[in-house]
Formats: sequence, C-alpha cells, structure tokens
Amino acid sequence: MAVTALAAFIAAPAALAADVTDIGFVDQGALSSLPAFQNASRQLNAYGQNLQKQYIGRAKGASQEQQQKLSQQFQAEMAQKQQQLFGPLFGKAQVAIASVASSKNLTVVIDKSIVIAGGVDITSNVRDLLTSPSDPVPPVATPPPSTVGYVDQSSIDNVAKIKTAEQTFASFKNDQDKSASDKLKSAKSESDRDAILKDYRKALDDEGAKVVKPVLDQTRGAIADVAKKKGIALVLDRTMVIYGGTDLTSDVTGAIK
Amino acid sequence: MRRQLALVALCALAACAKSGTGSAGASPDGAIGYVRMSDVIKHHPLYSQLAQYETNIDALTLGGVVPHAVPGADVAKAQAALSKELQAAADRTKKLLDDKQKQYQAREAQAIGEALRAAGVSAPAAGAIQSQVSQTAGQQSAAVAQTAQRDFAAYQKSLQAQNQAEIAAAQRAITDKANRTYRAKQDELLAKESALTLELANRDAGARLALKTKLSSLALDDADRQDAKTKLDALDRGEADQIAAMKNRDAQTLAALQTELRAQVSKDIQTQVTAINARDLAKLHTRETDLRREFTGGTTSQTTTVAAAGQTPDLTPALRDRIAHLHADYQKQFTADAQQTIDDFQKTRSELSRRFAELGGADAAAGGDANAQIASLQHKHDQLYSQMVDQIKREASVIAQARGIGVVVSDPVAETRGVDLTDDVAKDIETLHE
Repeated sequence: MAVTALAAFIAAPAALAADVTDIGFVDQGALSSLPAFQNASRQLNAYGQNLQKQYIGRAKGASQEQQQKLSQQFQAEMAQKQQQLFGPLFGKAQVAIASVASSKNLTVVIDKSIVIAGGVDITSNVRDLLTSPSDPVPPVATPPPSTVGYVDQSSIDNVAKIKTAEQTFASFKNDQDKSASDKLKSAKSESDRDAILKDYRKALDDEGAKVVKPVLDQTRGAIADVAKKKGIALVLDRTMVIYGGTDLTSDVTGAIK
Repeated sequence: MRRQLALVALCALAACAKSGTGSAGASPDGAIGYVRMSDVIKHHPLYSQLAQYETNIDALTLGGVVPHAVPGADVAKAQAALSKELQAAADRTKKLLDDKQKQYQAREAQAIGEALRAAGVSAPAAGAIQSQVSQTAGQQSAAVAQTAQRDFAAYQKSLQAQNQAEIAAAQRAITDKANRTYRAKQDELLAKESALTLELANRDAGARLALKTKLSSLALDDADRQDAKTKLDALDRGEADQIAAMKNRDAQTLAALQTELRAQVSKDIQTQVTAINARDLAKLHTRETDLRREFTGGTTSQTTTVAAAGQTPDLTPALRDRIAHLHADYQKQFTADAQQTIDDFQKTRSELSRRFAELGGADAAAGGDANAQIASLQHKHDQLYSQMVDQIKREASVIAQARGIGVVVSDPVAETRGVDLTDDVAKDIETLHE
C-alpha cells in the first residue's frame, strides 16, 4: 500500500505534465502568410492608398474640425473594408482551429507568442485545413472546461476606478514630459541629460507605484479570486486565447466595481 | 530496514523535486508553469543596453519632437521677434515716406521762392515767405533729426536682440547636430555589442548546457566535476574577454569621436558667430548712412509757398510755367526717391519672410531627423528585446524540462496554481555572462 502511494507520488510530475497536453497553440503570424490572407492584405492596402488620396483632396482647405471629421470617416471606411475582406477569412480560420482542437481533445488554443515550452502545436494542421479546397467543418461539441481562463483587459480597463487611476497617471506624465523637456533644453552636458532623464523615469515609476499599482494589484487579486473559485489555474489576456478557455471578464468586473 | 531507507531516500528525492521549484506557487498539480518576462528581462545581462535605448528614445521624444504639430517654443519666440521687426520696418518706412514728402515739398518751395525773387516779385513778399520757410524748416529739421536718432537707436537695439537670438540658435543647432552624431555612433556600437553578446551566448549555448547538465549530476566524481567547472569558467571567461575587448575598442572610438566633435562644434560656432556679427554690423552701418543722407536738408510746406505764389497778382505766364516745371521736377524726384524707400522695405520684408521660412524649415527638419532616429532606435530596441526574450525562453524551457513541467507560458494576467519559474529563470539568465 505504502509502495503504491509512493509510486503515485513519485510519478506525480509526469502524470500532471500529461494533464496539460490539452493546451494547444497556433502561430498566427504563420497563418497570416497564407495566400488568402496575403491577397486580402494587398487588396486592403490598395484600397487604403486610393481612399487616402481621396481624403487628402477633400481635406485641403478644410477647417481643423472638418479635418478631424474626415479622419474619423476615413478610419470607419477602412475598418469596414477590413471587416469585409478579412471577416470571412477569420471566420474560416476560427472554424479550422476549433475543428483541429476538437479532434485533438484540446480544451484551449493560445497564441504561440506566449508559449515558452510544451503545448501542442496545431499550426500545420490548421494551415492544411485552410488551404484545402473544401471548407473546414465546425466541431459538434463545445470545448470542454479548461484550466486556463481569460479576461478582456479592455473591458476591465473601463471600470471607473481603473480609468481614473490611468487618467491621473496620464495627466502626471504629461506634466513631467513638459518639465523634463524644458530641463533638457538647458542641459549642458551628457551627464546633465542623463540625470534629468533618470529623475524623469523615477518620478514616473514612483507615481505609477502610488497611483496605478494598487489598483492593478487589487484587480489581479480579484482575477485570482474568481479564477480560484472556478478552478482555473492560469488566467491569460483574451487576445492570447484563440479557442476555448473560460471567460472570467464579467465576474472580475463585477468583483472590482 | 533497507526497504525503509530506500523509501526515505525516494521520499527525499520526491520532496527535492517539488521544493526545487523555489516558488511559493508550486502545487501538486503544478504542470503548468509561467514566467513573468517583464521581471526576468531586468536580470538579463543586456538589460542595461535595452534601458540605454529607452533613455535615448526618451531624450529624443522629450527634446521637442512630441509637440511636433506646433513650432517649438524657441522658434515661436523667434517668429514673434521677426513679426515685430517686420511691423517696425513698415512703420519706419511710412515715417520715412512722410518725412521725404515734407523734405521735397520744402525744397520745391525754396526753389519756387528763388524763382519768384528772380522774377522780381516784391522783396517783402518773397522775404516774408522765406522767413516763414526758414523758421518752419528749422523746427521740422530738429524734430526730424530727433526722430531719426530715436529710430536709429531702436533699430540698433532690435538688431542686437536679434543678433543674440541668432547666435544662441546657431549654437544650439550646431551642438544638437553634434549630439545626434555622437548618439547615432553610440547606438550603432551598442547594437554591435549586443549582437556579439547574443551571438557568443548562442554559439556556446550547447556546450554550456552540456557542462551544466554534467555538473548537476550527482554521480560525477571530484576530478570530473573540477574539469567541467574549469571548462565552464573558461567558456564564460572567453565570452567575457571578447565582449570586454569590443567594449574597450568602442569606448576609444567614442572618445575620439567626442574630441573630434568638440573641435568641430567650436569651429562651426566661431564661424557662424563671425558671419552673424559681420552681417549685423554691415546692416547697422548701412542704416546709419541712409538715415544721415535721408534727413539732411531743409523742410517747408509746398502748399504755403504755392499759395503765396498764387496770391501774387503779377506773375507772367513764363513764371507760372517755371513754377509748374519746378513742381513737376520735384514731384518726379520725390516719386523716384520714395520708390527706392519702398523697394528697400520690400527687400527687408522678403528677407524676413525667408527667415520665417527658414525657422519653420529648420524646426521641421530637426523634428523629422529626430523622428527618424526614434524610429530607428525603437526598431533596434525591439530587435534586442526579441533576442533577449528568445534567450530567456530557451533557458526557461531547459528548466521546465528538468522540472517535468508540461507547459510554460509568459506573463499570465493572474494565476492560482501554476508553477512560477520567474526567479529560477532570472537566476539562470543572470549567470550567463558572469
């Protein structure tokens, strides 16, 4: 009995390592080099250049307010075109990733850029599906529960107290920028310059520690609490999770409000 | 007993394997590991070079590139001074024209008076007119001389202020250019040093890993351990020596460049100051000569003289023609002289406009130059960062493998049960070039 328990104990790391074979990753950069994406990218560039010429013509002689409006219109038209060109491709890629993940029993697929070691690389499988003549078939089942969760940082950043902290810091930084800029103009040597920049950095670090860090620590604590309650081991940023995973955003924003 | 000892030994080994994480976050299901890249990066031997890039980017950004849409404060000040100068030039021109008009009217009146006397107009009438003319001319001449003196003093003051501002601007521009040259060289050498450091680390990574693995083996005898340690030390020393040699060469190159730039700056500033001073002195001299010439001569009122002439009944047609001819003649001279004054003003205005354009252009050029430098530095910074991260990832992989951790990710937002490898990776990365 003791020997069995011991054997299980000793084997624990390897067995636990096997537990995380349900984490896959995709190199999104490699997928973006596929002909379909390259073609869409070329079309978007050509469209953008043409549109830019039109807007530059319209902006000539326009007031600053009109120019700002034109710039917003330009951005909106570009976003629309981007959605039109890339939307179907992203949709197809999403289905292909889900299909491969399901066939390999992966609970979550993340971006390759944050993977340091391990994980199942499904990039080539996804690429094969995307370049095959037929459309990939979506999986029947939804992804199984994962030990990896995610939060949408942009939604969390919109919580009033985080926004206030960031605005306070931005305003402080703005003042520091002006002050350091004035001081640099009268710097007489490289060492003067370095001292001014060192003070500038320190002032920003100190203010960040005073204003932003407590809020960030509190947020991190809230995320960890929510994750613990839901049995999540790690929480990632939403932009890094491509498929599966547990969305904790609403629980977290509710907890920190 | 032997079986019990074996159990104790196995338990101890298992405990070592678990406590070896060195992390409070280690847990029984610690198959997922993570590394806080932003913390580890600070322990990388090349972090100081990365920080140097950031400092240089800060310096360029804070040096006036950010508010690029509006002219820099100094340029705005210089433009305001030029605007003031342009207004002063316009006012001076208007006054000069008024004075010239009076001057020509006086000369004309005098000539007409002489013509009247020559034609036999009664002496008392002509004398009364001339007396009145002399008195008025005296008063006006004194007033004009006083105005001219004030005008000249104001011009001199304005020129001196402009001269000082131009010299300061030239000094700043020359020094900034030299600083940019120095920093560009410094960045170039820094990039080469970083490249060599990474190249050596990558080249020796296999050998280093093999030696470290050998050293971690418990079965290694003392002689082999010493041998492996000596080889590892030699590897580290070899890399450190190569890097140190390159740094020494670079330091010498930079010192030589600094000496050269200092001499060049001094020479360029001297040349600029001499040119600015010579030009302003010439301007002052010309101005003085012009004023002297323009404000010498009597003044009177043409209308007074003409009215006096008109009140005299016995003027012959020839005398009236003579007066008309004199009037036309002085009018023509006045028009030509006034045109010259207006032309001078136009030249001044063109010169000021050109300097306006130069100021704007200089600012834009300086900003553009700095922007390009920021972009280049940012690129180098990102490249170095990426190389450092790759190296950290390699080291983290080795640690994860040794510890049986299945998946390691970087920078999670939060964690509850993963194994934190940050400290271990940081220690490992620190020893890379010790």
